Formats: sequence, structure tokens, C-alpha cells
Amino acid sequence: MNAIDPRVHQALDGELSPEALSPELRRVVQRLVTTAAVLAAQLPLASLEPRVMALIRRPVPSRARRLLRWVATPRSITFRVRPVWSLALAAVVALLTLFPVGREGPNIGEHEGIAQFVGHFPGAQSVHVVGSFNDWRPGSIALEDVDQDGVWRATVVLPAGAYEYMFVVDGERWVPDHLAERLVADEFGRENSIVIVRPARR
Amino acid sequence: MDVTGASDAEVVARVLGGDREAFGLVVRRYEAGLLRFAGRMLGSRDAAADAVAESFVRAYRHLASCREPARLRTWLYRIVANRCKSHLARRPIADVSLDEAPPVADPTDTEVELERAEQLALVQRALVRLSPEKREAFLLKHVEGLSYEEMASVTGERIPTLKMRVHRAREALLRVLEGYE
Amino acid sequence: MKLWLGLALCAGPLAAQSARARLEGRVPGAAVPVIDSLVQRASGEGLPTEPLIQKALEGGAKQITAPRIVAAVEVSLGQLRDARDLLVHAGDEPPVTPGEVTTVAWALRRGLPDPVVERVLAALPRPPRASAMHAVADLAAHHFDPDSAADLIIAAIGQGLVRERLLDVSAAAAHELQRGHTHAEALALVRQELPNVAASPKPTRSAVARARRPAAPPPP
Repeated sequence: MNAIDPRVHQALDGELSPEALSPELRRVVQRLVTTAAVLAAQLPLASLEPRVMALIRRPVPSRARRLLRWVATPRSITFRVRPVWSLALAAVVALLTLFPVGREGPNIGEHEGIAQFVGHFPGAQSVHVVGSFNDWRPGSIALEDVDQDGVWRATVVLPAGAYEYMFVVDGERWVPDHLAERLVADEFGRENSIVIVRPARR
Repeated sequence: MDVTGASDAEVVARVLGGDREAFGLVVRRYEAGLLRFAGRMLGSRDAAADAVAESFVRAYRHLASCREPARLRTWLYRIVANRCKSHLARRPIADVSLDEAPPVADPTDTEVELERAEQLALVQRALVRLSPEKREAFLLKHVEGLSYEEMASVTGERIPTLKMRVHRAREALLRVLEGYE
Repeated sequence: MKLWLGLALCAGPLAAQSARARLEGRVPGAAVPVIDSLVQRASGEGLPTEPLIQKALEGGAKQITAPRIVAAVEVSLGQLRDARDLLVHAGDEPPVTPGEVTTVAWALRRGLPDPVVERVLAALPRPPRASAMHAVADLAAHHFDPDSAADLIIAAIGQGLVRERLLDVSAAAAHELQRGHTHAEALALVRQELPNVAASPKPTRSAVARARRPAAPPPP
């Protein structure tokens, strides 16, 4: 375990002037300062104000509704339930998911999940994802680059399963997904990416 | 009435006095730092947005229990830090999420932009390898710029403990970064 | 519950009849009758037809010439037959289910050697086996030796892990690689953790709120 010279710590804690350090120790200080500076970059995210204020303006749900919402939210439940009870619990959860309790977004079915597609295409005018989940129809699933940073995204509800796909940039350039770690030959001389959609509720 | 120049204590007083909309100012004032902190803690922009939004709502509902309105910022960081801890206890970071994935080289990228993005990805990957306590300590001290006293309020830990965590975090980060070279 | 059936619809005559309707306008006209007859043949052999239709639609979308699309569909049909033969050889009673043929075809296409596929089939005598196959293939994609990969997944199965949890096992091993361990170390580390391998994170509420369904196809 490499301990750093205590004077480096003192300098970084403001207890010692960096000028009092040797050039070598000053370099260590600088390294950490630079690391912190890199991390200080702000996240490119839209303001949370609209979302927070909308939640604040909503009337506070009664305890009963809050409990219902807790039970209905998909989460991995790891406590052990006696088999007899698990049937009852499943029945309750199934019943509640028929009546969505104020959740935004689509209701995800029992055999469905979410696929998140991400691609880095700065300068692109449009990016679509095309694959065996949409009969290879170009144009049916468009990615968006909301904050114009060249990173395009789409989040899609799909039946659970394995699918092949590619990105189509500007309507004409077919590109596999660089971030996907699964590739398979497409029998046309190129490679498709594979996405495995897991059921969201398990 | 324009409250943008008002102090935290004044804004809190207004909100507690019934001016719900004034809370928007609190959000605007502190969201950038809180999002950055949560994002670096959790390794995911989406998870950070969720955590911080929920923390603000919680802060609003419990505003009356903020004992020192002048230290609103510290109080907000405490709520977010606790939220991040619960999140990480339930699901440890398996990997740097897609949100922070390293960029793919594209001929239209400028060198500076690419390098900056790669640096960030590298440092974020190193950060994720620290334990949550060390990560939190490093971020609060060196990225969010809190004093050790403020960090004690945020974490509930004693100052000597926090200093030790920050020191170990520095050592661990340096080791990891050197290992990437 | 056959969650993995997804697009692999039952290979009945009804499915085969709708092939032409789906191909027309999407695939070069010259190829349609030939592909249709391949689909009928697959249907007659009890094989899934959806992979063939998808391959044809893919070729059309990628603007491939008719002869090459036909060749690709023929290759796909061959893969389905290989998969079926492997399943029968591994002991699945005929008629082998179309869903399992699709699963094994995936495994073969992703490069898993026959003996490795057979080992996984032996460890899971009954379907579904899709997650297990993909988990082994994921490990192979990360350059783990396929046999060692199968060892790990089979060990996980032995410890009671099923279905999507097996994908968590391969993800954990890949994660150890990223942390700087060798392949052998990664396998050993994850093996030790079994069955308590970290679960993959659920989609965040923001992600769920943003999720959309694909736009419906235009009416014919």
C-alpha cells in the first residue's frame, strides 16, 4: 500500500503551502488537483426544476395510496416468502399493475422489458435503430440527441428476448453498435449487434 | 417579488410561510452541484437525476426540520448523500453505466473534446473503484469543496475519520490512475 | 412460460401463409417466391419460420440484391436445421420446439462449438435455455475459453440460478476482467461468489418514464 508523503496531504488540506514542497511532491499535489478539476465538470442534464415543482404541487398521497404505489413499483424483491404467501402476493401485484398508480411512461407488461440504445454520432442529422424488433423498418425508432452533445439515445419497450440490430445514421449509413459487446455475422458481409431485453419485472 | 438575490435563510422563510413556488429557487441554486455529486457517486446520470429530484422533494416536505436555514446547502448534501448510500447498498455499481461510456472516435470530433471526454471517463472509472465512503469523502472535499466541518454535518462522521477517508481516497485514486498508465 | 418465443412464432401453416404478405414491398420482387418456398419448407419440417422472414426483411432494408438475400435465407435455414439436429442429438424428443431451435441457432451463430452447446443442454434438460446459452456466448465474446465459460454457467445452474440471473453471472465475470483480472482469476472470483452474484440494475424511473414503444407499421 503506497502511502503518500504526509506533506502532500497537508498541502491538499490547506495546512501547508505547496511552495514549501519539493517539485516531485508538488507534482503529486497537481495530479490530484487535476483529477478533482476533471470531476468538477458539470453533468449535462436539463434542469430538475420543472420535475421537482410538479411533484411538489401534486397533493400528497394518503398513506394507503403510498403503500399501493410501493407494492406496484417494479423492484427486485429478495425477501423469502412462504410459497402459499407468494401466490397471494403475486395476485396482489398483478391486480395492482392493472391500475397504474400515477406513474409516468408506458405500462410495461409482464413479458416486456426496456432496451436502451446509445450511440455517439456527432454531426449526425438523424439516427435510427433498426432490427428484428421492428421488422427492420428504417425510421420506426428514432434516437434523440436532446442536449446536442453528439450522444444519441432511445429507450424502447420491447417483448423480452434477443434481437439483432444496427444503427442507421442520416438515413443511409448502417453502423453496428460500438457499445454493444455482442456481434453476429449478418450473412451480408457485415455484423449486427445483439441486444437481450430482460423482463423489467424480474 | 423577485427573490433571486435572497439568502437561503430568507428563501426558506418564504417557503415555510406558504410561498411554495419560492422553492424553485432552491432547486435552481443547488441542482448543478448536487447532480454532479450524485452522478459521480452513482456513476449514472439517470440515477443521479432520480436521486436528486427525490431529494429535493423530500427536502421541501421536511423543510421545517432544517435546523439552520443558513446551512441549507449542507442539509441538501446530507439528504442526497444518504440517498446515494441507500441506492448503492441496494445495487453496487457493476460498471460505469452507458451514460458515462467512453466516446467512440469519430473523425469530426476535435482532439480537445475527445481528450477531455476520455480523461473524464478514465477518472470516473478510477473513482468507481473506491469504496463508497472514500468516494463520497473525496467528492465532498475536492469536487464539491466542502470544509471538514461541513462534511461532518453531511455524513455524521467525526472530522478525524473524514480526514483519514480523504487521505486514503487520494492514495487509492493515485494508485488506480497510475495503474492505467 | 416461453418468454423467449418473442418473434419465434409457432411454425404452423398460418404463419407461413403470412410470409408473402410481410415480404411484398419490402424485399425485391424476384426474391419473394423463392423465399416463400423456403419458409414453407421450414414450416413443413417443424422449424421456426420467423428467423427466415426476419433475415429477408433485413436484406431488403439493407438494400441487398435478390440473389444474395436468397442465399442468406438459405444459410439461415441451414443453421436452423443444424440447431434442430443438435437438439435431437442432445436428447430432446422430436418434435423439438421451435423456440428451442431458435435458441440453439443463436448459440451456434454466436460461435459456440457444438460440444459446448451440448454440455449446456445436458445441464438444463428442459427449456427455457436461452439465457444460459447467451450467458456462455457472452463469456466467449469476452474471449473466455468456451468450455470454461460453460463450466461457470453450469456451476451457476447447479447453485440454483436460473434464466436471466445467468446473464448476471457472465456480466460479473466480464466486470472482473475490466477491473484488471485475468480470465482465470475472473472465473474463479465469480465462482466463489455464486450464488450471490450482483444483480443487474433495474431500469431507473427516468428511463421507464422515457421509454416508448416502436411506431406501429403502416397499414398494408
